[in-house]
Amino acid sequence: MSAVRRRSAAFPDGGPQGGNDPSAGGGPAGPPFLRVSGLRAGYGPARVLNGIELVVGEGEMVAVLGPNGAGKTTLLRALSGMVRGRGSVRLRGTEILGKAPEEVARLGVTHVPEGRGTFAPLTVEENLRIGAHLRRRSHVAEDMRRVLAYFPLLQAHLRQPAGSLSGGEQQMLAVGRALMAQPRLLLLDEPSRGLAPVTTRRLFDVLRAVNLHDGVTVIVVEQNAQLALEFASRALVMETGRLALAGEAGRLGPGRRVASAYLGPRR
Amino acid sequence: MNIAERTGRRRLAVGWEAGDRRQVWPWPRLTLAVLAVAACAVPFLLNPYRVFQLTMVLVYGVALLGLNLVVGQSGQISLGHGAFLALGAYVPAVATGPLGLPHPVALPLSALLAFGLGLALGLPALRLRGVYLAVVTLAIAVVVPPVIKRFGAVTGGSMGLSVSAPSAPSWSGLADDQWLYLLVLAVAAVAFAAVRNLLGSRAGRALAAIRENPEAAEVLGVRIAAHRTLVFAWSAMYAGVAGTLYAWVVGFVSPDSFTVTLSIVLLAAAVVGGPDSPAGPLLGAIFMTFVPAAAQGAGDAVPGLVSGLVIILVVCAAPAGLAGLLRMAAGAVARRLGRE
Ligand SMILES: Nc1ncnc2c1ncn2[C@@H]1O[C@H](COP(=O)(O)OP(=O)(O)OP(=O)(O)O)[C@@H](O)[C@H]1O
Ligand SMILES: [Mg+2]
Repeated sequence: MSAVRRRSAAFPDGGPQGGNDPSAGGGPAGPPFLRVSGLRAGYGPARVLNGIELVVGEGEMVAVLGPNGAGKTTLLRALSGMVRGRGSVRLRGTEILGKAPEEVARLGVTHVPEGRGTFAPLTVEENLRIGAHLRRRSHVAEDMRRVLAYFPLLQAHLRQPAGSLSGGEQQMLAVGRALMAQPRLLLLDEPSRGLAPVTTRRLFDVLRAVNLHDGVTVIVVEQNAQLALEFASRALVMETGRLALAGEAGRLGPGRRVASAYLGPRR
Repeated sequence: MNIAERTGRRRLAVGWEAGDRRQVWPWPRLTLAVLAVAACAVPFLLNPYRVFQLTMVLVYGVALLGLNLVVGQSGQISLGHGAFLALGAYVPAVATGPLGLPHPVALPLSALLAFGLGLALGLPALRLRGVYLAVVTLAIAVVVPPVIKRFGAVTGGSMGLSVSAPSAPSWSGLADDQWLYLLVLAVAAVAFAAVRNLLGSRAGRALAAIRENPEAAEVLGVRIAAHRTLVFAWSAMYAGVAGTLYAWVVGFVSPDSFTVTLSIVLLAAAVVGGPDSPAGPLLGAIFMTFVPAAAQGAGDAVPGLVSGLVIILVVCAAPAGLAGLLRMAAGAVARRLGRE
């Protein structure tokens, strides 16, 4: 899919926020949707993120690539408040760094953590309902229908404990549960892990639909560079706590620069 | 954390342990109805001592219903529920005795006070988990008897106070103990229904989510500390209500009835009964009431010894408690009936 088509699809009417060049950091319309500056974070004395700079426009879908241990998971955790950090993370101008995860979630940020984290003894339906914890009761039925339309596979398992689903089904449940929260910013940590190639594509189709139709901004960590570059409007490569490379996915392509930064020079 | 990890068992989690809540017993409603009828018939069929014992089962059942909210639902340990029981027990002793308030006031009053105390203790303990909460609650349980003795002017000190129970109205034609049994039964039924209701609600789901995976719950916007505190207060409220019922049934309260041992026995009974099963509180209460009584005849130290052995046996053989065993038995019976 070409970059041009992605962009025009992402911002169909060039709306006030969507029309701004995201990398320019907003514009006269106000603060950018998400601005991360000088973000440093780690675990105890171990520093993992060394000054992340990132601006994401509303309605963008950004992929984060990078070798194991680069700090991709840590970046998402810092954004959702699961690890503490220094620097600044502003969501529509509001500082969210230092807020507790549940407060960040209340501002419309939903994080699908690495390794799913479904609630095993609870049924699939209960898992989805917990996703809608912050939603009004009257909206839940409608949300449920929408999410099940995205993941029809879950429909047959609604009354089954989540722990009895296959790994891939649990992964879909985790994403579906996050969608129940109607996030404005969706953070996904390797959602394709353990999925069959066909299922992975379908999952990314869903993510794209959520991104395009519902205008949800998506930041997705993905090991499959090709896939990430195909679906995302922009890809970032992370290396030892820094964002090494940023560019428009379509233009960047699975070309040489990404390949050498991410896959290693030998390729 | 899954249940297999929590109970330290390496065996793959299957069936109930994997959280499989498909019904193994095909007639839950019928069974409940039969139980309800039997429970109502008890005071007319059994002798007064048995009626007293079964009333105590219901009283402890209410307390364990509350304790299970903390142990089973919130996945935490409270060693201080005896303190809430004491609070609830002294409310009718003081309110309807020296203060001269009518009996019906005692129940909501102790519910309210225990809820408030639970909230007050839960708020600073907001971030306390696992063993820390256990230690804080243990401290409260330790402090209660001396405090009761210290304020002897109100509480009667170590001599205790006698409590008058609501007596049977003349229109009912019941003896007082029969009336009291039915009263306690009604309270227990309401308490049971309220817990089922709570667990099916949004708050109940949030609690289960917190227990299974706090991080995942948090990023979905569940306020962990608030839920834990609130459930602790709810739990305290149940213990308070049970305390009032206890005082009515026993007719006497003293500091020695609410020592640390009571708190520990309550926790043991919750675990033995089955902390996250609806039948757990009842089974735990039966254990608490009948095991020591049955061993009483054999000598002084025997009840403690037998109780201890039963606890060890149940915990080792059935980590899901007596309720887990019952469930397995029910599953076997249902399968056999299904095959025929
Ligand atoms: N809970 C933790 N405590 C201490 N150090 C951690 C913790 N989690 C991650 N780290 C360290 O932080 C660094 C970055 O980890 P992170 O999980 O962010 O990498 P990642 O880019 O997501 O890797 P992967 O692609 O393997 O998922 C690693 O060196 C790791 O050892
Ligand atoms: Mg990772």
